[in-house]
Amino acid sequence: MNLRCLPLIVALCIAFGLATYSCDKHPKITNTPLPSLKNDSVSTWMRASKNTSYTLGQRKQFLTKAYNTLKATPIDTVQVRGLNTVAYQNLRLGDTVLFKNRTSEALVLGKRLNDSFAMGDAHWNFASYYNHGQDFDRAYYHFNTANGYFEPSGYNFESAKIQYGMAFIKGRFKDYSGSEVLTFLAIKKFKKIEDYRSLFSCYNHLGTLQNDIYEYDKALFYYDRAIENLNKLKNNRSLQDAVLNNIGNTYLKKGDYPQALQKFNKLLKNDRLKFGNKDSYARTLDNRAYCKLLMKDTLHVAKQLNEAFDIRDSLDNKSGVIISKIHLARYYVYAQDSVRAVAVAKEANQLAEEVKNSRDYLESLFILATIDTQNSAAYLKRHIEYSDSLQIIERKIQNKFTRIAFETDEYILETKRLSDQKFMILSISILSVLIGVMFFFNWRQKTRHNLLLFENEQQKANEQIYLITLRQQEKLENEKIKERNRISEELHDGVLGKLFGTRMNLGFLEIKGAEETLKNRQLYLNELQTIEKEIRNVSHELSDNIDSSQINFSMIIDDVLKTRGKLGNFKYELSFDESINWQQINQIIKVNLYRIIQEAIQNIIKHASAKNVSVFFTFENKKLVVKIKDDGVGFKSTLGQKGIGIKNMSTRTKKLKGKFTVISSPKNGTLLKIIIPLKNKKNES
Amino acid sequence: MKAENYFVLIIEDHPLIIEAYKTALNYYSNYTESVVFSIQTAHDCDSGSKLIKNALKSEEHKYIVFLDIKLPKSKDGKLLSGEDLGQLIREQLPNPKIIVSTTFNNNFRVHGILKNINPEGFLIKNDITPLELLETIRVVVEDPPYYSKTVIKLLRDQVVNDFILDHYDRKILHELSIGTRMKDLPKLMPLSIAAIEKRKRKLKQMFNVKKLDDRELMISAREKGFL
Repeated sequence: MNLRCLPLIVALCIAFGLATYSCDKHPKITNTPLPSLKNDSVSTWMRASKNTSYTLGQRKQFLTKAYNTLKATPIDTVQVRGLNTVAYQNLRLGDTVLFKNRTSEALVLGKRLNDSFAMGDAHWNFASYYNHGQDFDRAYYHFNTANGYFEPSGYNFESAKIQYGMAFIKGRFKDYSGSEVLTFLAIKKFKKIEDYRSLFSCYNHLGTLQNDIYEYDKALFYYDRAIENLNKLKNNRSLQDAVLNNIGNTYLKKGDYPQALQKFNKLLKNDRLKFGNKDSYARTLDNRAYCKLLMKDTLHVAKQLNEAFDIRDSLDNKSGVIISKIHLARYYVYAQDSVRAVAVAKEANQLAEEVKNSRDYLESLFILATIDTQNSAAYLKRHIEYSDSLQIIERKIQNKFTRIAFETDEYILETKRLSDQKFMILSISILSVLIGVMFFFNWRQKTRHNLLLFENEQQKANEQIYLITLRQQEKLENEKIKERNRISEELHDGVLGKLFGTRMNLGFLEIKGAEETLKNRQLYLNELQTIEKEIRNVSHELSDNIDSSQINFSMIIDDVLKTRGKLGNFKYELSFDESINWQQINQIIKVNLYRIIQEAIQNIIKHASAKNVSVFFTFENKKLVVKIKDDGVGFKSTLGQKGIGIKNMSTRTKKLKGKFTVISSPKNGTLLKIIIPLKNKKNES
Repeated sequence: MKAENYFVLIIEDHPLIIEAYKTALNYYSNYTESVVFSIQTAHDCDSGSKLIKNALKSEEHKYIVFLDIKLPKSKDGKLLSGEDLGQLIREQLPNPKIIVSTTFNNNFRVHGILKNINPEGFLIKNDITPLELLETIRVVVEDPPYYSKTVIKLLRDQVVNDFILDHYDRKILHELSIGTRMKDLPKLMPLSIAAIEKRKRKLKQMFNVKKLDDRELMISAREKGFL
């Protein structure tokens, strides 16, 4: 048991080293194009700040310049994304304060621009920062938030990277299944975009996870897949070495020592490791020695363990040193040198406590419990207490992760619900406003229409009243004439006859008397005759009705022209075609014609300042043609806009199913022509 | 010398005037002693026509008819005035001497009466005095015709103005003068409205009227003795 735990720890350490590296952001951000001329300077400064040939101070200066140049550009998505890059570079150069400020700035701007990539990127920055600072729950929170932005927007690479990061954190806190699920999600996306480097990391992580749950065959399978992906890359030596190391560890853990030894030997056979990555070399060397120890082949084991220890010590690789010391302790236990074993284990224990490496701390406690028999109980107690507390912490953190995920989900749902609601409210309000506007216009149109109808009806009513009064007047006139005729007749036939008879009879009466009396009698008789004549004259005058016989249309028109002519100071000429029978023409036509002529004359007085006006009534092809001509100033008749006067005249003509034309040009006077079809004569009267 | 016997028919609706005629006839017969009048009277068209029918229709009889123009029309509506009755008298009685006595003095009626009845005596009632009535009787008995002054004046005016107006022209003028409407004219004569209009235009030309309305025409026609 004791020995079995060890490889796990080693493997974990190795895996961490790899994973921490690969869940960091790539320095280049592929989705942020900086093509324009303005941004050229920004990218130039950025490139300079990444150039390791400058000193750290210079690189920081370059970055500040990049930041200032960027700030001068207008606020848009390019600027925000650039800002994220600058912030990340700040982090890489170790400027955490500047990093935090700029990332926050980018986050605010991203929110303002509603740029989900920029916001996700900013959170990713924070996540990387906390990940480095081993503040995993915060890192997890930011990863989760960032993924909330990336995944729905289809940023596959970024989303997968983040899911991998989250899987790594979950794995660290022993939420193996959760970590596995996230890794598979990431793998799906990486496969889509054929990112073999990341696929390698994912499979390596899966292998490590399987190791942790003692599924060694599965772990080996995943490592093979990792190597497959790795083979698609160039320049993969160091990574390949790391995987081989992992595979060796897996065999070691599985208990298949010869296989493990073979893998380690294969690694160490190559001098590349020895002169290349010293840390790797020390790790492999240490692992191989430990493997040999487990195979109970102690030849050179102590020497090799010490060599690895020395290298690690010189590199100040503390966790490496701890592992080396633990291995040495195990060796001393095997060599039954319990004093040295206890000493080395105690050192390892102290160091582990110092660097807060709980696994190695527990391991060293376990070793101490087995070898330091005197204090065995105390060590065991510590071990149990510590592992319990560790478990509690892990549980708490696992719960925290779940909560974060849940809250994020809930937040996303809530946001979605709110935005849906907002959309609904917006669309409903727009719709209702539209409906309102529609109703308003409809209402206005209706009102206008009604007003027009009303006016039309009123006009009709007016005309009807006019006609009725005209007819009434005519009737009245007729009755008057009748009565006058009756009186005249009565006087003529009755009174006159009687008077005549009386006078005659009186004349024939033989009256005797003085001559004077006879003379007077004759005088009175003559007087009677005179009276008769007077009565007859009265009778004639009464029956002489021609003056008021009828309301004559031509007379009315003549009257209009006469009175208006005085007002407008123009001479007029009026002519009627003799063949027009005004008695037969409908009163409505006459009324409208009268109004049209009135309107026309009104216009002439108002605008034309004419000297001569002529009005002709002619009869052509059963149509009544009226021409009204003046020699006034005229106007552009082609101009679209018509005055109310002309409109009225046109409407009136249309009502009579006639044609109305205006011919006029400036300085040439105006000619109005009205053509009205006359119906059948029988219908007319 | 045997006195000549005249059958006198007085058709007149005013009893006073009948009385006056009778007086005048008696006065005349008393005065000359050569004529005897047997007088019969009627008051309207019906009794007038009856009188004519019942009269002895012999060539040897001589008839004098005093005829008023304004008479109540016959019940069957065939005889509208003395003018129609006059025509009947001309047809039925042998050589009647008709004295038309009327208050009408307008040209149209006078012209119509002259044309249709061609009376032996034509009196405009208000012109005449008892003496003139006696003179009329004398002239008609001895040597007709006798026209009273107004009739002669009208005839003179028309002869002077060389117009040829037919019956319808006169009727149009007359009807217009009494205020008949143009649209009612076709009901009063067998002419279409267009024909009437045409005649009116011709009349205006004849009377030298340039104005459009009918009033000027009336005034001119009256001046020239056609109304």
